[in-house]
Amino acid sequence: MNKVNRFAAAAASAVVLACTAGAVMAADIYVIGGKPDDPFWSRVKKGAEDAGIVAAAQGGSVTWLGPQNYDNLGPDAAELIRQAIDQGADAIVGPDWVPEAMDPAFQAVTEAGIPLVIYNAGGLEAADRLGAMNYVGAVDYKSGYAGGAYLAKAGHMNGACVNTLPGAANIEAFCAGFNAGLTENGGTGSVLQLPATAFGDATAVAQAVRAHLLQNPDIDAMFAIGDGDTNATVSGIQQAGKAGQVHVCGMNFNDSILANIQAGTQDFAIDQQGYQQGFFAVSILNNFVNYGVTIPTREILTGPGVIDAANVEQVMAGVKAGAR
Amino acid sequence: MDVISGLFRRPAAASILSLLGVLSFYVVIGGVDLGKLMGAASWVNYAARIGVVALFVGLLMISGEIDISIGAMIPAGAMTTAILSGYYELPMIVGILGALAMGVIVGLFNGLLVTRTTVPSLIVTLGTLVAMQGIVLAGSKLLTGAASVPLSAPGWAKTVFGDLMFGGNHQVVIVWWIALAVVVWFVMHQTKYGNWIFAIGGDKVSARNAGIPVDWIKIGLFVGTATSAAFVGMCHAILFNSAQVSGGMNDIFNIIVSVVVGGVLLTGGFGSIPGVVIGTVTFAIVTKGIDFTSIDRNWSNLIIGIMLLAAVGMNETFRAKAMSAVRKKKG
Repeated sequence: MNKVNRFAAAAASAVVLACTAGAVMAADIYVIGGKPDDPFWSRVKKGAEDAGIVAAAQGGSVTWLGPQNYDNLGPDAAELIRQAIDQGADAIVGPDWVPEAMDPAFQAVTEAGIPLVIYNAGGLEAADRLGAMNYVGAVDYKSGYAGGAYLAKAGHMNGACVNTLPGAANIEAFCAGFNAGLTENGGTGSVLQLPATAFGDATAVAQAVRAHLLQNPDIDAMFAIGDGDTNATVSGIQQAGKAGQVHVCGMNFNDSILANIQAGTQDFAIDQQGYQQGFFAVSILNNFVNYGVTIPTREILTGPGVIDAANVEQVMAGVKAGAR
Repeated sequence: MDVISGLFRRPAAASILSLLGVLSFYVVIGGVDLGKLMGAASWVNYAARIGVVALFVGLLMISGEIDISIGAMIPAGAMTTAILSGYYELPMIVGILGALAMGVIVGLFNGLLVTRTTVPSLIVTLGTLVAMQGIVLAGSKLLTGAASVPLSAPGWAKTVFGDLMFGGNHQVVIVWWIALAVVVWFVMHQTKYGNWIFAIGGDKVSARNAGIPVDWIKIGLFVGTATSAAFVGMCHAILFNSAQVSGGMNDIFNIIVSVVVGGVLLTGGFGSIPGVVIGTVTFAIVTKGIDFTSIDRNWSNLIIGIMLLAAVGMNETFRAKAMSAVRKKKG
């Protein structure tokens, strides 16, 4: 055996060693998400990092990659996906916010043989299209459905969905789900369409709700698509003199909504449970990379979660911990 | 010894030192794997995106003016391309030329307004910045009914403007950045036009008295900044198959900071193209490199701010040294 051969043999065995070490080596997981100072995404980040405690105990790591702002969301997120590949990710988690801009980057992940989980946006459809292992997230239609079904089962049969963003696919899905949840449980549902300029304008929403309730005195249930709209809807009901008669359910929550639920002015809120999205997406990948175990259930739903008077105290404790 | 002190007096010296400082901070404190960082595409792509515009903003700032409408011109270029070639399905070349024409028009408008009035360029371009944001949003809603427009570019356009190179993640805009840097460097440091720009930034009245066409040079520089911003937006739309309405506020600050880190004075008359290029690289490594460290992301903006202040502080010190050396020679 001459020197060159001996060197080649040594190098080859080193490569083999490195490879076998790699097979049982820890998982460096990269999570693409929103800005860390976004209230919703800070909960997702906490979930991912809590799952990362296990990854770290096994020698791995969890790295959060978020854009500086949402100005250029699709391309920025696509860049972050490619950056995760460059950083040598063993597994990647990402939301499919803007498919045109982000799908090529996700395809580069699966082509590189890196395990991928889609979460938060895109649904199982995106996961299947991109060759991802799973989808972890809430489904808008089911969130609305849960709201309608809860209200109908409580005996509030005539509901209206306050749509302040007509045309937005996820909002249309909330309202369609809400109406289906009502009708399939014996009630009737309708949609109160507002011009898109009303979104985030509390006065406009409250006035529209008040007028709608005075015109349609039979309505005894309402669904609002976001936390700001929910507060405005509650105010509109009070202005119509219908407090206590019209029951309110809203998407998402904040401190004032929790206080309203405690006080009884709002019946309940639907939560997407962002913490679960980060936690389970990372856990699935960590376990897969380390032990090769999988979750055969496709489409892991993290929502809808219901917050009502029964569990509002527990939710408040979760808020304090930064998980809700 | 003379060689070293001569090196330190080069306008780009401070920016090179800031770059080294940033890298060593990340390696020592952040535990960065230097090989991985150098091999990664993310910061090079980012540097190219802001670097193309930073070259022209550098020229403009050396001449003593500033252009913040670039923030709106990047999405404006992207949206023009996507609306023309994506929504209306016109040939790709129409979308490309449309974006560039949009840049030339806005640049001419800025330049004429600044040279024909005494309104400071900061205010003029602030006006066009906000106006362009309005035009882009309202125009997109009016023409397409949406704030985000998909685009599927033909192969040749992808290869030239928006593709990934070497089978990796490096964007083709990097090549454009390097090529433009060489061209701008040549004009700035090897031709009389560069001297004219320095002279205008140093003393506008003397420059005019010396026979330099001050107004035309300035108008040309404004066309350069607006068109380069539209160009970058156009490349992005082609690469990412879509364009969306956005304010672009971040790009303004990032580009101007890159130029300032590169040693260009906000008041004009001082700076260099190699400095601007290295300043851009420094800024890109500061912002994108944080992802390669073990530092918690919640701290990233604080660290970016401190490192930029340190880099600019170093520039000031070196410039003072360089200027004192000049004075000594004269005396």
